[in-house]
Amino acid sequence: MSTWHNTRSRILVAAAFMLTSASMLAQTPTASGTINATLTNKNGIALVFDTDPSGVTLGAAGSSNASLSFGTISAFGPLSPGVTRPSVTAASFTVRSPFDIQVIQGGLTSTSYTLSASLAGPAPTGLSYKVDTVTLTTAAQRIQANGVYDTDVAHNLDLVVSTASPGAGGPAVGTPLTATINFTATAN
Amino acid sequence: MLAEGMETARTFDGHGIWFALLWLLALAALPAHGQTSSAQLTVNLSVQSSISLVFNNNPSVGTAGFCPLTNAGTNNVGLDLGTAAFPGNSYQGCGTYAHIGGASYQVSSAFDVLVTKSNSSSPSYRLAAQISSAPPASVFWLVDNTVLTNTGFTALDAADKYNQAVTKTLQVQVRNNVPSQILQETITFLATAN
Repeated sequence: MSTWHNTRSRILVAAAFMLTSASMLAQTPTASGTINATLTNKNGIALVFDTDPSGVTLGAAGSSNASLSFGTISAFGPLSPGVTRPSVTAASFTVRSPFDIQVIQGGLTSTSYTLSASLAGPAPTGLSYKVDTVTLTTAAQRIQANGVYDTDVAHNLDLVVSTASPGAGGPAVGTPLTATINFTATAN
Repeated sequence: MLAEGMETARTFDGHGIWFALLWLLALAALPAHGQTSSAQLTVNLSVQSSISLVFNNNPSVGTAGFCPLTNAGTNNVGLDLGTAAFPGNSYQGCGTYAHIGGASYQVSSAFDVLVTKSNSSSPSYRLAAQISSAPPASVFWLVDNTVLTNTGFTALDAADKYNQAVTKTLQVQVRNNVPSQILQETITFLATAN
């Protein structure tokens, strides 16, 4: 009797232990971690060329490496769409196309920019290039002191062409002429 | 003494690091004035030789035989020779009236033609003219005594100089059997570089 009683007690204790262990094992395990994220927001400024509604359609408009083709120009003959001839004198004639510059900035407190321009190389014989009122050279010159960001700002590109004949100070005739103008926008 | 100095130096170094960090942070937070962006615009063109012709009033305009041009200084002008009849005493106009033989009259007026060139080594130009429509019978349009037609350009000059006004006289000859009417022509002058 006593032996049976002891055995039963041991069985009950063992069962209780096993139940307790099972309950402990059934608890949902958890883990935690943290991410330390970092973003460095740099300030920046960019200049792009856009086609002016009144001017020649630019090649690669909307980029910082665009092209503007005046086509065939002359003192008295027809001109390409978007090209005008504001003046013809005995010594020279001028052809013009407006184009737009848009300067975009981010992260700056600057409210305006200074625009400068220069020719990448000497102008072809008999030609001079003007942006607005500034005759371009290979040295950078200020075009605009207080350009407004994030909007198209129209500028005139003028080609002043000597009426002299080739070899007498005038430009080459019937030959493609190319010049590259470098523009720089500097945050004020 | 040495230990104290080392302690001072260590303390100063610690402050220096913090100061440098704060300085860098401040620099980063400052607006970056003077930032620049560059871009290139490539410009292409080809120059072509060209010449221009305009009509100008002759310096003697206003005197008989030199009628004023309307829209002078352009390549599209007007010239009103007035009203004429075979009996010459009824001529009303700015031109010169004359009888040609016994059965025709002529009204004439002089004006200047100016041809300019650009980007050309051409030494001279030739000039020709043409009327726009066949005139009525017994009516003739002439420039410098050369009769014009509407079938082609008639040569006037072989080698005129650029940038020098050339005076041309337009003549209308009308026979006395031509009915009353308005005589009108558009006369095209053509300058061609030599």
